[in-house]
Amino acid sequence: MMHWLRTQGWKYLGLVLVLYSIVMGMVVPLHSGISARTPLSADAGDTVAMHVEGYNTHFAQAQEELRAWLMLDDSLTLAASRIAVQDDRHLVATFVLPPLLPTEKQVANFTLVIDNPIDGVTLLPEALFVRQDTVAPQAVVWQGGPEMARLHKGPALTFPFRNILRETIRNTYFHVPMWFAMILVFIGSVVYSIRYLRRQQPTDDAYAAALTTTGIVLGMLGLFTGMIWANYTWGRPWSGDIKQNMTAIALLVYLAYFVLRYSLEDREVRARVSAAYNVFAFAALIPLIFVIPRLTDSLHPGNGGNPAIGSEDLDNTMRLVFYPAVIGWTLIGYWISQLLWRINRLEERLLDEE
Amino acid sequence: MKLHLAASLVFLLLPLASAWSQSEQTDFLRQTGMIYVVVAVMAVIFVGIGIYLIYIDRKLTRLENQISDHDQNG
Amino acid sequence: MKTAREIWYLLQKELVLEWRQRYALSGILLYVLSTIFIVYSGFQQKLAAPLWNVVFWIIMLFASVNAVVKSFVQESGYRQLYYYTLVNPLALLMAKVLYNTLLLLFIGLLTLIVFGMVAGNPVEQVGMFAGIIGLGSLGFGIIFTFISAIAARTRHSATLMAILSFPLVIPVLMELIKLSLTAMGFTESTGIEKDVMILLGIDLMLMGLAMVLFPFLWRD
Repeated sequence: MMHWLRTQGWKYLGLVLVLYSIVMGMVVPLHSGISARTPLSADAGDTVAMHVEGYNTHFAQAQEELRAWLMLDDSLTLAASRIAVQDDRHLVATFVLPPLLPTEKQVANFTLVIDNPIDGVTLLPEALFVRQDTVAPQAVVWQGGPEMARLHKGPALTFPFRNILRETIRNTYFHVPMWFAMILVFIGSVVYSIRYLRRQQPTDDAYAAALTTTGIVLGMLGLFTGMIWANYTWGRPWSGDIKQNMTAIALLVYLAYFVLRYSLEDREVRARVSAAYNVFAFAALIPLIFVIPRLTDSLHPGNGGNPAIGSEDLDNTMRLVFYPAVIGWTLIGYWISQLLWRINRLEERLLDEE
Repeated sequence: MKLHLAASLVFLLLPLASAWSQSEQTDFLRQTGMIYVVVAVMAVIFVGIGIYLIYIDRKLTRLENQISDHDQNG
Repeated sequence: MKTAREIWYLLQKELVLEWRQRYALSGILLYVLSTIFIVYSGFQQKLAAPLWNVVFWIIMLFASVNAVVKSFVQESGYRQLYYYTLVNPLALLMAKVLYNTLLLLFIGLLTLIVFGMVAGNPVEQVGMFAGIIGLGSLGFGIIFTFISAIAARTRHSATLMAILSFPLVIPVLMELIKLSLTAMGFTESTGIEKDVMILLGIDLMLMGLAMVLFPFLWRD
């Protein structure tokens, strides 16, 4: 059993994991969200009829138990005085804003909260800017109506709703694993290069070359899929983001690796010199992958372009799909590299016989 | 070698592709919560892996031809 | 101790060789001067400081590649092998790195002076900027020397030198550009130690690796 897993099983495991990530990644619904609302701002003392457009919501079905608040912070909330449901995705919530806000600032920035038993609680930060001309002389007593309590959890298995991302959050399971798999495949290639330098076995060099080819393919797929995704979320395909640049540079390095290979005639020298370059180049890329992104701002998730993904960007449900996808794509990458390597090995053997 | 040539070609075409995708901001991909962006991403991955498989397939064909030559000669 | 003496002798050898073939050195100097002149006549105006900074480092980068590319090519293969039997190959590598670092430092300072005279000098802290040029020369020196040892094994060494080394120097270049903006007074100098440490860390790591990998390159 262990033997089978080591020789063949990991390939099927890769297939199963990728299939699982595709199915789960497409089937699990998005959590409900608030995709639009008007008006965007109001004055203190106004009565605001807020038109809310929901995403994946069931307003009509949950009409009876629908509740809505404007929230300034955890203790200061203002319940809607009336909620008129139009359909599952549209409602009008009426808020009566008090003439004086419980803040010393001229502008208050309210979060919109909608809760119902079917969809669970849904938040939209910075939903309403409220201006007040005069600031309350002393602390005002805040009468917000029914307090925000007994919020519903909603369906257990959902992906988070983000207003700029919407359904494209699913690309986390298709675009991001390309990048992770690329790095893991390049690491494998460096390991085989080191092995070659230690044992001088030609097959190790061939495996390093095959892995590099796969890594380049994965890197390009990551780059292209990223450009498509970025075009629709960040507004343009290429923003010169540190991670985009890094992938492009990594691809340049490894394309250069192949130029080097083809310009060396002798097989033994080629294997040795390209292995040395592979190790050196990977080391030179390490700061680019792991150090500089941490110090530079990035559009990519993670703190200041942190290469890891923070818990804010990847909730537990997403982890359940994301990590299998990374492992699956990496295994498939190694599988395809192995096929390439086996072909190369046969070619070499044929050359030796002649 | 061919693959790497193609790869470097693709690299040169990157700016072109980005210019194209900006002019082509159709609203189709933005429908239904932009789910078609996910479809496009999956299609690109599928095509990419497909091209890679074709490359390996052709390598294998070349090897098969070599082997049959080898057998005839030897 | 023996290695240190070997490095010293080899360094002297490089200097003497360079002095005897003055055309190589003067070639690089002319290269720098004409590049600066081309940049200047292209822009026709005083450059804004961030742009000046980038242009400076690009001139420096290209001049460095051209200066270092010959380090392993200029001597014939047999003479190289003869050296390796005479001295410790690592001493040879270190002498070359050291020599190239000094050469690049010289080129960098020259570029600073000439470029500063022609296109204006926005550098506020010249001493600090010179230090950054020193750091950059060390980083470029290590990477370019090692890559030139690789490129020397191929037939198109000049082309390969650029292809192989440019992507590798990008991290160093990014740090250098960031640091020199500090020397121009553009960014706060609070986090400067961190950047210097990162640069030195990169240099140290690459130097160590170059020493480990070099024995695999020169053998036939």
